[in-house]
Amino acid sequence: MGASSDQLVFGTGALVLVGLYLLSMLGIGWIGRLKRKSNTLADFYLAGRSMGFLVLFLTLYATQYSGNTLFGYTGKTYRIGFEWTVSVLFMFSIIAGYMLFAPRLVLLARKMDFITPGDYISHRFKSPLLTLLSTILMIYALGNYTLAQLKAMGAAVEGITDGMVPSEYGIVGLAIIMVVYETLGGMRSVAWTDVIQGLVLLTGFLLLLFTIPAMGGGLTAVVEKVGQLEPPKVEVPSLEGCNTWISYVFLLGCGAAIYPQAIQRLYASRSLRVLKRSLALMAFMPLTTTLIALVCGMVAIVVLPGLERGETDQVLARLCALVMSQSTLGYWLVVVVFAAILAALMSTADSALLSISSMITRDIYQAHIRPRSNQSELTLVGKMCSWVIIALLVLIAIGTEKTLIRLLELKFELLIQIVPCFFLGLYWRRLSARTVLGGMVAGLVVALGLTWAGHPRVWGFHAGVIGLALNLIWCAAGTLIAPREADPAARQG
Amino acid sequence: MTGQMKNEYEELVREPRKVRWVWLVYLLLYAIAIPWYWPAGYRGPLVAGFPLWVVVTLSAVLLLACWTAWVIAHYWRDQGGEE
Repeated sequence: MGASSDQLVFGTGALVLVGLYLLSMLGIGWIGRLKRKSNTLADFYLAGRSMGFLVLFLTLYATQYSGNTLFGYTGKTYRIGFEWTVSVLFMFSIIAGYMLFAPRLVLLARKMDFITPGDYISHRFKSPLLTLLSTILMIYALGNYTLAQLKAMGAAVEGITDGMVPSEYGIVGLAIIMVVYETLGGMRSVAWTDVIQGLVLLTGFLLLLFTIPAMGGGLTAVVEKVGQLEPPKVEVPSLEGCNTWISYVFLLGCGAAIYPQAIQRLYASRSLRVLKRSLALMAFMPLTTTLIALVCGMVAIVVLPGLERGETDQVLARLCALVMSQSTLGYWLVVVVFAAILAALMSTADSALLSISSMITRDIYQAHIRPRSNQSELTLVGKMCSWVIIALLVLIAIGTEKTLIRLLELKFELLIQIVPCFFLGLYWRRLSARTVLGGMVAGLVVALGLTWAGHPRVWGFHAGVIGLALNLIWCAAGTLIAPREADPAARQG
Repeated sequence: MTGQMKNEYEELVREPRKVRWVWLVYLLLYAIAIPWYWPAGYRGPLVAGFPLWVVVTLSAVLLLACWTAWVIAHYWRDQGGEE
């Protein structure tokens, strides 16, 4: 097996299995290409708007739950204990967020053949500047998201091969696999690989639930011990902590609901019935996913005491290494869990990459550079974009120091400032592009200003949420003082 | 735009955002899910390995999920049917 008790190292058999799993992604990508119906953006980026229930549900699931859910959330629970139960609530809140705008957006998208979120913003506000700024913010947020997944992929590959495959090679290898299957079949390939990845991810979480708590003698014994060793980790959060819970609900409930790759999946459903069933089931998934990450983090407090802050994001890998060293069955269970980790990372990164490529092609290239380009030219540009973007992100992932990565962690704080375009723009007909732009700039200034001034949270509320509050107030005031008979969108045009 | 916006959504027969009591239920369940009402430092007895306050929060999330599934089924409809 080749595993010591504190290292997650795979033997040849397991590495071959993981390799076959990765190669199967390329096979699925090829099938996605064979099933292509036309050489158009709608076919490439939205799978021809033909996704059925199983594919849509699993692609939503695999895209929403990333490597961060596995590594970041177990590490965070290790650091703060049950206070991180908020993660179950905020992951649910993403679905509640859809209830506030998705019915109108989906209807409009089907009528107007939207491909990107920028298509909606352009249609509603008729402002190239607003569409461009929103697109840049979305690309930034997704680029950041993909970067984090790439870094985690590199670390995972280096870990299981005991350093024989350095992190850089892992990043490059997995990035090439992703971009190849994505270029082959676009959204169809990405969604179909998500089906496999989503199933592997679900299996991995179930295995974690059955293996990890037993390591600490069961959850009750674990929590009793944590209660003795570190009581604050089982106690109810303070009132400021509750403010942070509220802040997270807004940050994720609004921010993750307008993630471009998620919005494009709303556009891609075959029918309203399929979309509604998928979203209804997604509402329950935090209880089968995030909650298990929470339990694993609590077990780690007892099983792996005394880890420093920088090591805490490795608690899941270390727990797996322990399971692996105990029995042959444990070893193969961890191989499946590792495949789930790769699945979580790749399914999130490929979806984000495809979405970035669609926004550059549609909202920048077609809108500002070659408005008369035909569909096959745009599809080709989209594919080329994917290669250029992944090359840039790989270079950044390999070449940057951790401090720079920390700066790039500002993601939701910026993305969330686009929220009024969707949450208000679909309902407030007098909300003008100028008002939304003003609110967006004000929100960005507050979010960035507070963060850079060393106040990422004020009374427990995230800087981005405070910026969003100002943004919403600005939009409300601007709408109230707008003349009733005015036609803001026409005036902008 | 004023008339245009109204026409754009006329096929939407029902939408959750327009039903006020749907959001009152959400508000109530969120108020239960966020543990602001427990005494400072409270832990409570363990239920299935979780402290009582965590069990209450998780139960509220389960109810929120059930509520959302019901709201999606009953308050999101358009004229064109669902196919």
